[in-house]
Amino acid sequence: MSPGQTTTTSPMRFSVDGWDVGYGTAMEIEDLTESRSEVHLDVEVPESEWRPIGPTAVTAPDAVLFVDGVRRIDARVWINEIGGEADTAATMGICASYAAGVVCCHADRAHVSEFKVRRGVFSTAPHAADIPTSAGTYQARHTESRPETPLPVALSSELQRRLAEVEVETAVAARDALADHGLQNDLLVIDGPLRDRSHLNRAVGYIKSHRSTYLPAQLNALVANLTPGQRTPVFLLGTSWERRTWYLRLPCEPGAPWAGVVRVEASAGRPLDEVIALANLTQTVLCRFASAEYKDSRAPQNLYPIAGLEKDLRHKLGDQQIMYRALRTAAMRNRLSG
Amino acid sequence: MQQNKQANVVGMVAGTEDSTPLTFHVAVERDAYLQLDDVVVTVREVAGREPVMTCGIVTQVTARHEGASFDSDVFLISDGVLPAEVQETAEISTTRVEPECYVPPRPGALVLRATGDERAQALYFDQMQRKVPVGMGRDGEPIYLNMEFLDGTRGAHVSISGISGVATKTSFALFLLHSIFRCGVLSNAHNSKALVFSVKGEDLLFLDQINTRVDAELRGEYARLGLPAEPFGSVGFFAPPTPGDLTGRPHVSGRTSGVGAFWWTLAEFCSQELLPYVFADAEDERNQYTMVVHQVANRLRRDASAAGRDGAVNVDGKLCRTYEDLVELICDRVTDDETRSVWAGPAIGAGTSNAFVRRLRSSQRALGELIRGDLPDTPTRKVSTENHQVTVVDLHNLVERAQRFVVGVVLAAETARKEKAGPGGLLFTMLDELNKYAPREGSSPIKEVLLDIAERGRSLGVILIGAQQTASEVERRIVSNSSVKIVGRLDAAEASRPEYGFLPASQRIRATLAKPGAMFVSQPEIPVPLAVEFPFPAWATRLSEAGGVLVGSTNGTGPRGNGARPGDPFAGMPASQDPFEDPPPF
Repeated sequence: MSPGQTTTTSPMRFSVDGWDVGYGTAMEIEDLTESRSEVHLDVEVPESEWRPIGPTAVTAPDAVLFVDGVRRIDARVWINEIGGEADTAATMGICASYAAGVVCCHADRAHVSEFKVRRGVFSTAPHAADIPTSAGTYQARHTESRPETPLPVALSSELQRRLAEVEVETAVAARDALADHGLQNDLLVIDGPLRDRSHLNRAVGYIKSHRSTYLPAQLNALVANLTPGQRTPVFLLGTSWERRTWYLRLPCEPGAPWAGVVRVEASAGRPLDEVIALANLTQTVLCRFASAEYKDSRAPQNLYPIAGLEKDLRHKLGDQQIMYRALRTAAMRNRLSG
Repeated sequence: MQQNKQANVVGMVAGTEDSTPLTFHVAVERDAYLQLDDVVVTVREVAGREPVMTCGIVTQVTARHEGASFDSDVFLISDGVLPAEVQETAEISTTRVEPECYVPPRPGALVLRATGDERAQALYFDQMQRKVPVGMGRDGEPIYLNMEFLDGTRGAHVSISGISGVATKTSFALFLLHSIFRCGVLSNAHNSKALVFSVKGEDLLFLDQINTRVDAELRGEYARLGLPAEPFGSVGFFAPPTPGDLTGRPHVSGRTSGVGAFWWTLAEFCSQELLPYVFADAEDERNQYTMVVHQVANRLRRDASAAGRDGAVNVDGKLCRTYEDLVELICDRVTDDETRSVWAGPAIGAGTSNAFVRRLRSSQRALGELIRGDLPDTPTRKVSTENHQVTVVDLHNLVERAQRFVVGVVLAAETARKEKAGPGGLLFTMLDELNKYAPREGSSPIKEVLLDIAERGRSLGVILIGAQQTASEVERRIVSNSSVKIVGRLDAAEASRPEYGFLPASQRIRATLAKPGAMFVSQPEIPVPLAVEFPFPAWATRLSEAGGVLVGSTNGTGPRGNGARPGDPFAGMPASQDPFEDPPPF
């Protein structure tokens, strides 16, 4: 049987784990420990001439698009093996809801212009099939099992990959909608690293937290001394893929040396002057959307439109209790009819 | 029809608030709106039964930013930084469930603005056999009262409350009278009368004159209500005689003709036992002198004999031509030790008779002009509703004590006349400042008359249209006997009193800011009071507006002078605009 195929004769038998999904899978989402990357500092200016770069006069884009996605594991399921072992052997899978959306900030209005909600059952079991429930269908998302990766991590990575796909889909759809309104000159801000979305034009990845130190120590001091609106020169970062990146300080209350600092990245495949123009643009554009401390626990890095979008998307995922109950009902129904 | 329905969709039943058969909420579509008082309808399927239609009225509308959590978020949202949507929600108070299966409307059900037949159904107009228009709803469509709750068939009496000046109580009461008489559903209309007591200026002395401000637009407004934009056709005006004048001229300044003076002769005062109405302020059972009042009234009835043709009386061998004469005589008799037991009653002490005397004497100034034996008698001086459809008694020049006397005596006489005549036609009695005549505390002869009307009037055919600033100060039995309750602008403290319990919370607040011309009408069949706006009077309300008795453009072709016009039930009756046109028969 090919993955994802549903048999009409006997529905896939599975059971829903009674444990809260928070237990047991407390592993980090993906292999975040990036391999020690190569850093080339002489990109915009030679390393010796590194100075903070203040905001410059730029033409504001017609519209700024913020893309983000949210994910939620609704339940852990055990998918029974087929055949003789049906009652004794089972493979773990996760049922997750995930959604991506785009906030379009244009003129004096910010609105969620595009969103997509998906539900999937992620499993390595080759016979995993769609799970139709009263609250929607969880589509089978076959995950390749790799011996070196723990199963929960593999499932989670697959979920993240699918979410990234939807993010790109919504971003493209939002751009098309803008183009229909005659707006060409937009800026796409993707929450998180660009990764395999670097083919998108006028797109930047927006990284809120810093897990690795890329710069040499003396240049880190330069980052700590940035004033709001200032950025570092563009530098090149090469790991599994290359991107051009820069640090930017958002307006915030003075605090820790790196408070309010974000890393913004753009595709390395673009001409350098285009990337520098993008960097200059982010200095003006992103500062406007920085959140205030008392309104957001991740201020100022968690930009208002992204915070609003996340809240909206989480709401659109639906109530987890309802989804959980729907899954249990579906499991019971399949068991009885099987 | 289907397309029409689609166009009327205003939103869906919201699921974030509890939906009940009596109250539910509607999330309003982005391109639609609902305002207070709009009528909506929604239909749901019920398993095993026919679909249930729930109709209601918008009693509150709210708009919120969805996606905002701090008040200051509004600045970010309007700046285009934070994504959020504006959502309007309307609270609906159910007026009708058809068929009667009280199930809640389901979240997600389409809600339509009710128009035409659906609106009529929602507001029970379809069940009204006889409809009286009372004005326009907020949607610009007519609002009706059920005549059966006005004419005594199933209920009667109207209570109108509101602040003086802005609530336009009198104007509305007159419009209601106009509507009742001219809407064409009042049975026996030719035999129905109205008695109007005017206490504020001479505003009501021009009811028979067309308002100069009547234009095509106003005529259109009346036409939409199915009413003619015309003044009252047959009106008799009465005013007290001019003080110090011995010819019996009416005491009015604005209107120079067509007003008759009214007074009572001393002979009537004695024979009809009108003395108790002199003491018409709140009676207290502890006051001994009230016994004296009834004793003296009885004495006068038995001892007084008419002297001459002008109503003077001979009492106990003494001729009385004026009220002062009579008061003097009575005071003599009740204070004199020899006659006191006969006049004031046995066992009445000097203290009690003095209390009576003090109060009687103080009435001289107020009533001296109204109780006469010195004016040439004329049949037109008697206040009577017999000759006109509408009879206006002008009281504004009288002091309060005299107003009470007139109201009490006229009402008692008209009620008695009506009782004798049987319930053929109706008598609508319009009385402002009801709290003065029928206060909540104490009792008085007038209050007794009014209570009698309120409780028995329905069967007698006497309908009370009472107006007051504060319903809380009016005798409870009168207010509770009123089938139709109407509220104009209210004082905020007054609006919170239990007398206005029929108003939903939001309407109570609205009543404190109601504009002139806007009223809330509550009638027994409709659970929610309806907001109405009534058109500007078609009759003059002051001299400067008076545009003549008849205006050619209102298709009136009858003879000038008696107000007759096609369809006027009083056409053909003796010309009676001016009781003094004919020379008195002496």
